[in-house]
Amino acid sequence: MPPSPGQSRSELLKGTLDMLILQTLTLQPQHGYAIAQHIERLSNDVLSVEQGSLYPALERLQKKGWVTSKWGESPTGRKARYYTITASGRRQLGREISSFDRMLVAIRAVMKRA
Amino acid sequence: MSLLDGVRHQLRSLFGARRYARELDAEMQFHLSLDAMQREHGARGTLSAADAHVAARRRFGNLTAITESTRAVAGLSFFDAIAQDARFALRTFRRAPAFTTVAVLTLAIGIGANTAIFGAVNALLIRPLPFPHPEQLMKVGLILPARNGNPPRTDMVWSYPKFTAFRDAQHLFSDVALYTDDQSTISGNGEAERVRTEIVGARYLPTLGVRLAIGRNFLPEEDQHPDAPRVVVLSDGFWQRRYNADPRVLGRVLDIGGKPYTIVGVLPRGFRGLSGRAELLISMMSLPADVLDEAWNHSYTLVARLAPNITVAQAKADVPRLGAIVDRAFPAPGASSEHWGASASELDASRVDPAVRRSLLVLLAAVGLVLLIACANVANLFLVRASGRRREIAVRLAVGAGRGRLVRQLLTESVILSLLGGLAGLLVAWWGVRLLAAFDPGQALRVQTFSAIGAVSFSNIRLDGAALAFAACLAIATGLLFGLVPALQSTQRSLTGALKEEAGGGEGARRTLSSRNVLAIVEIALAVVLLAGSGLMLRSLGKLLRVNPGFDPENTLTMRFSTPESYGPDSLAGFFDAVLERTAALPGVTGSALIDCPPLNGRCSGSVMIFRDQPAPVPGTEPEVGVHWVTPSWMPIMKVPLVRGRYFTRDDREGVRKVVLVNEAAARRFWPGGDPIGRPVSVGQGGFWKDTAYVVGVVGDVRFESLDSAATPDVYLSYYQSPRSRMMLMLRSAGDVRALAAPARRVVREMLPLSPVYEVRTMRERAADAMRYARFSTVILALFGIVALALATMGTYGVISFGVAQRTREIGIRVALGAQRGELLRMIVRQGLLLALVGGVAGLVAALAATRVLRSLLFEIVPSDPLTFAAILALLALAVLAASWIPARRAATIHPSEALRES
Repeated sequence: MPPSPGQSRSELLKGTLDMLILQTLTLQPQHGYAIAQHIERLSNDVLSVEQGSLYPALERLQKKGWVTSKWGESPTGRKARYYTITASGRRQLGREISSFDRMLVAIRAVMKRA
Repeated sequence: MSLLDGVRHQLRSLFGARRYARELDAEMQFHLSLDAMQREHGARGTLSAADAHVAARRRFGNLTAITESTRAVAGLSFFDAIAQDARFALRTFRRAPAFTTVAVLTLAIGIGANTAIFGAVNALLIRPLPFPHPEQLMKVGLILPARNGNPPRTDMVWSYPKFTAFRDAQHLFSDVALYTDDQSTISGNGEAERVRTEIVGARYLPTLGVRLAIGRNFLPEEDQHPDAPRVVVLSDGFWQRRYNADPRVLGRVLDIGGKPYTIVGVLPRGFRGLSGRAELLISMMSLPADVLDEAWNHSYTLVARLAPNITVAQAKADVPRLGAIVDRAFPAPGASSEHWGASASELDASRVDPAVRRSLLVLLAAVGLVLLIACANVANLFLVRASGRRREIAVRLAVGAGRGRLVRQLLTESVILSLLGGLAGLLVAWWGVRLLAAFDPGQALRVQTFSAIGAVSFSNIRLDGAALAFAACLAIATGLLFGLVPALQSTQRSLTGALKEEAGGGEGARRTLSSRNVLAIVEIALAVVLLAGSGLMLRSLGKLLRVNPGFDPENTLTMRFSTPESYGPDSLAGFFDAVLERTAALPGVTGSALIDCPPLNGRCSGSVMIFRDQPAPVPGTEPEVGVHWVTPSWMPIMKVPLVRGRYFTRDDREGVRKVVLVNEAAARRFWPGGDPIGRPVSVGQGGFWKDTAYVVGVVGDVRFESLDSAATPDVYLSYYQSPRSRMMLMLRSAGDVRALAAPARRVVREMLPLSPVYEVRTMRERAADAMRYARFSTVILALFGIVALALATMGTYGVISFGVAQRTREIGIRVALGAQRGELLRMIVRQGLLLALVGGVAGLVAALAATRVLRSLLFEIVPSDPLTFAAILALLALAVLAASWIPARRAATIHPSEALRES
């Protein structure tokens, strides 16, 4: 169900989209649409992935060499570009998760004191 | 490998641009259709397929924007923008053909001329010598100590005995060798011919690193001692010409100067010795012992290749020590206080004559100025155009175009324009390079082995990769240079001003006008510098042309031929007598004479002279004189004036009292205020040293060296008192002297069937040769001056006429209010003259500083010659007057109603 306009959708924190994409791709190679769907579904539609950010992000990840892509056949029989995480992408994901954790802890600490 | 993955991805997106775009589009479409399908499915029939698609599109956002931002991440947006800018630029150029043509032509001249001159500078001054490891090659010269107030000479050539002393003492060089250039007569296997040769040591080719095309180099046993087996190596050209490139030529015998030489090898194509023109390399040890063993017969240049572990600086520091060893082995005779030395320099440093180097650098600077003027001109055109496009640019800025983006677009325009100019400039450069390469200063300058390597010559000037790269860089740099100011200025954010602006002009227009004024002033100033330079060179050339050579070069023919070695001194006189008689009898010949070395030859024989009626000078301090052998008829035929005493006569022959003639310079120098006639002298050449000779006459100064060097003391010996085998025949005719060439040749051919006749040229041609280089560089510089003046005039015209066009309304109002036409005319012309005044003064100051570099190239003209500068300023004023007169006339004829209606 598409969310109604009134329902609030959180804009992604800067830099977290890359991490979410990489995390999504650890399960299996996915095409762009499936990546967006996956993130939105797992976040119970709280996180919205704008296409305007998704494809540039995928391009960026490919340039860094964290993700590669290959054209393959989708279940519906159509050609789609499938993205796969690389070994260095996995390493990068580890780094991002730990720094994200540190940041969460820090933010919580600040909020508690307030 | 993740790094590789990234790089591979990047390369794919850059080089498979089309494919990349197609795939990105497919991916977006896939995303959209999948989303639409999902929505249709999720709505369970309440949503039509079309509506679902619309919803998906809405959710997706701006497809183009997403594509663009993805491309931006991929780094493609830059190329997209460039391509777009380029297309836009070409479209604008097509819309303004007049502007484009003028700009491209201006740039073509500037870039083309620069490329051609760069080609010359690269070939003659920069390009490494065509040998392996040229940086290891050095030249070692003997140092002739200071003498008679002359500074020491550091580039003296060597004698063979001194060379051996040097060679055996040195450990600096892996190879050392002597060479000198020479001429020989070859015969057998075809017609006898006079050819240029080099006499070289066996290590000459290994020192240079030249490998033979076929055959072998001279062997060590052929290099041990004089009178060794006579062996010769052919140049490729000679081998082709005389032997049809027959490889069986090795081992065959070639007759050189009457002696048999065995051919042992052929040089690679393109290498003709360091002199650059040798057809044969003759083994030095083929020479007889009496020539080689003479320690004071300095005739050979020493080239050396550094040993692997020795630096240039070490060699330079250590060679003087070796020079001292040589000096101890061969102390100067007589003057015991005089010590010779030795010094080393890079071979590369003596690649061209210093005069050529200097004038090339001057030309390079001049042509650079021409390009700057061209840039200023095109920048001006751009400013005019930019003011026409103010509204367009203001609108684009107003609707949100970034200033950087606009500047980049304007710069793309100017760079594309200058690339077009560069392309057209290649034609100019091609023509210029052909012109330069056809020039042979070797003949004109008489650059001998003493100062220059003939292997580096004007004929090496090519439009090669380096020149093309230079042209390309120049085009881009030029485009940025003349594009930047207009681009920055026309994109300044004065939105409202520009949008409101009417034809009357606002603040923006005034600013463009003032920066255009500055450009015009810069152009005028640069043109003044160039004009001053070329004016000085022209004046110098004029002075040179007016120099009295001391003889009459008109209607005179010169020719040389070699006499057989079997002719002794006795038979020589008889033989040459017969030649003179028979050529004098030819129809049309009014006189025939001999001299050993023609005037304006660059270098003639010289020696010392002492005065028998004065105490003997300290040995080594005797005054130097030029020595010339002539037959009695030479002076009257060449119209050399007799100042005092008498000419030679046929009676001044061997066995009677020896006599000499001196020139006025000698009379002035040696007998100031006195009478030289009857004075006893001895001359260190021609058998005049032991005996006393008497001065019988004083004749006018003849320029034997060149027109621009002052007359020096000369002494003439009578041929019949001192016969020589190598003489030049000179014939004077009443009419066309060229017609004499064939019959005179025939006479010599009949008398010497086996000898080639050569150097058959008129004295006029020889005189012209002596001035060729001066004329050549002056003409080029003058050409640049003219182009500079034309461009500056165009620039000034552009500024003034644009100003008039902008002020049409104002002028119309003035006329309506009763301004007189003459007043208007004066107002506009005054504006032009103001530009000329400011630019002229700035240029004058710059020129006074800049023309100092010309000092050594100028003849009897000081670099600040007031006459030249006055003439230049007058010329400039005239040009600017003309440039402002036309727009002024237009302004004066503006009709008020028309001017007011125009806005």
